[in-house]
Amino acid sequence: MIEVRNVTKTYGKKHTTFTALDNVNFTVPDGASVAILGKSGSGKSTLMHVMSGLDRPGVGEVIIDGQDILQLKQKEVDIFRSTKMSFIFQSFFVQANESCYDNVSLPLEIAQTPVRQRRGMIEKTLESVELLDKIKSRARDLSGGQKQRLAVARAIVNSPRVLFADEPTGNLDSATGEKIEDLLFGYNKKSGSTLIIVTHDPDLAKKCDIQIRIKDGTIESIIESQQPVIAHRPVARKIQL
Amino acid sequence: MKMRDTIQRAGRSLRQAKARTLLTSLAIGVGAFTITLSFAAGAGGRAYTDAIVSANTDVNELSVTKAPEQQQEGPQKYTDISSAGAASANPFFPASFLNNNDITRIVAVKNVESVAPNYSPSVKYITRTGQDKYVAPISTFSPSVKLKYVAGGANSNLSTDEIVLTQEYVKALGFASDQAAIGKTVDIVAERLSSFATSPEMETFTYKVKAVSDKSGLALRAQSTLLLSNEAAKNLYDYVSKDTRDYGNFALASVRVNDPDAAETVKTELARMGYEAQTAKDVLGTLNTFINVLQGILLGFGALAVLTSIFGIINTQYISVLERTQQIGLMKALGMRQRDVGRLFRYEAAWVGFLGGVIGSGMAVIAGVIANPFISEALSLGDINLLIFSPIAAAGVIIGLMIVSVAAGMLPARKAAKLDPIEALRTE
Repeated sequence: MIEVRNVTKTYGKKHTTFTALDNVNFTVPDGASVAILGKSGSGKSTLMHVMSGLDRPGVGEVIIDGQDILQLKQKEVDIFRSTKMSFIFQSFFVQANESCYDNVSLPLEIAQTPVRQRRGMIEKTLESVELLDKIKSRARDLSGGQKQRLAVARAIVNSPRVLFADEPTGNLDSATGEKIEDLLFGYNKKSGSTLIIVTHDPDLAKKCDIQIRIKDGTIESIIESQQPVIAHRPVARKIQL
Repeated sequence: MKMRDTIQRAGRSLRQAKARTLLTSLAIGVGAFTITLSFAAGAGGRAYTDAIVSANTDVNELSVTKAPEQQQEGPQKYTDISSAGAASANPFFPASFLNNNDITRIVAVKNVESVAPNYSPSVKYITRTGQDKYVAPISTFSPSVKLKYVAGGANSNLSTDEIVLTQEYVKALGFASDQAAIGKTVDIVAERLSSFATSPEMETFTYKVKAVSDKSGLALRAQSTLLLSNEAAKNLYDYVSKDTRDYGNFALASVRVNDPDAAETVKTELARMGYEAQTAKDVLGTLNTFINVLQGILLGFGALAVLTSIFGIINTQYISVLERTQQIGLMKALGMRQRDVGRLFRYEAAWVGFLGGVIGSGMAVIAGVIANPFISEALSLGDINLLIFSPIAAAGVIIGLMIVSVAAGMLPARKAAKLDPIEALRTE
């Protein structure tokens, strides 16, 4: 469960302060898929950064599994991110010069997964995004859709509990974008992890269990889909640390 | 992140910027080249002087002169004695000579085995039946001085009727070959100096050729000196100089001690008695001072080259950090710790240093191996190599440069570590 309580984030100094998030409160149950919807500049990216511990708001709490990550030291937040969270970005951020294998290997190296376990995990994950045949190819030789699939593989190889996706289909055409959506929701359902998608695309947002609309740093509305979130919540899974 | 992974990633990043990596390493390589060469030249030079000294002197031997009289600082007070004798004004020759009294005093010193005055009799000429006459400088043979023989050999000692010729004299005296001269006799004619110039007294001394020596790169003494046994030289000296003013005065005497360790104590004892003694070690020390100064100069140039390359590394690494802002941001977003990001860039710098060290010292070794024969040829050192490379020195250079590179990469690595991932991942 992720609880966001009274989060306020301001930028700038006294006279030129800009409030990116203004007293934001909501709760996301485990295993839910959440869309944070809003126009650009609405504060939706800042909210994602705050929830993942990349950014530290001046006021508020972000409680993940009972732990306020804003109280943790930088080192502990890093460990938290390397073992329990992952990211997908609009512009992929795959390492163009590296092979698919090395790209997917990066989070495992950061999390200090033993070397002998890595190959199996990487191959399995690349297979799930249908890129196993490209394992030795350089990322620069992939198409846009393939690059984002590689990014998905890199994001899920470590079996994160929370997966953040920042405009994951923003740079893709609708057909390849749909494939990425299928992968994301598929992982969300199969592993029971929480999926948080930051988007301005209402169609993508509709596919999520919860839609959080943000405007000018405040929550405009929280819409839960017809089916109760709890209905497809799978049995709790053991998390590999 | 584990060290192994960090090192691998660092290596991979460098491979992706091959030209830049290579050029930066080459800058360090210049320093590595110079430093490796300076170590090699230093080692070679010391080995060379070592060889010279061990070939020309004996650790059991001291050469002793009479110490010049104590000099006051500043202008010398005039005495009647100081004006006497031009010899005392000549700085290259000792002011006073050793005489038989001195010899007996020195023999009495503890640990001294024997004292041999340095007889250098000046004879008229050397010749052989049916051949021309040639000027002949004579020295005494010492078994501790290693000579290179082309024919025959005299490794223990010479008897009083034996002589060691050089190749040049063998040719001049008309022998068919070096080998042919062995066992043949040569004549040395000496003139008694005390005899009247109008009716000079001459005598012919005959010697059997025991060995023929070659030019040696290690020889300190004049190449054309003919060697006689100490006894034979004394006989000649006695004949030539008897009844002259200088008879019984020697500039130099060789003192043999019974134990190499005693050389130093004998030296101090002799100094107390008013003699100046030089041991083999002293000779080596003087020669090595020159070598060390030269090596130091070369090292200084190498250090300067390394200093310049440090700025190259800093520059390259800064550009690398700028270029890879997004990569760093991603790694930090994925939970890579600041410490590990900094380490990644420091390892990259270490790789650059390693490459530069290997390239530079490798080139130095190749250049040295190629140049050695030419240097030996030019300085006529024979089969001696003036550049000696040791794996330890090369490893030391490489490790040292890696440390320097890491130090240079400190600032860029810090910049990378401090990078804000949100800023880094912002795409416009």
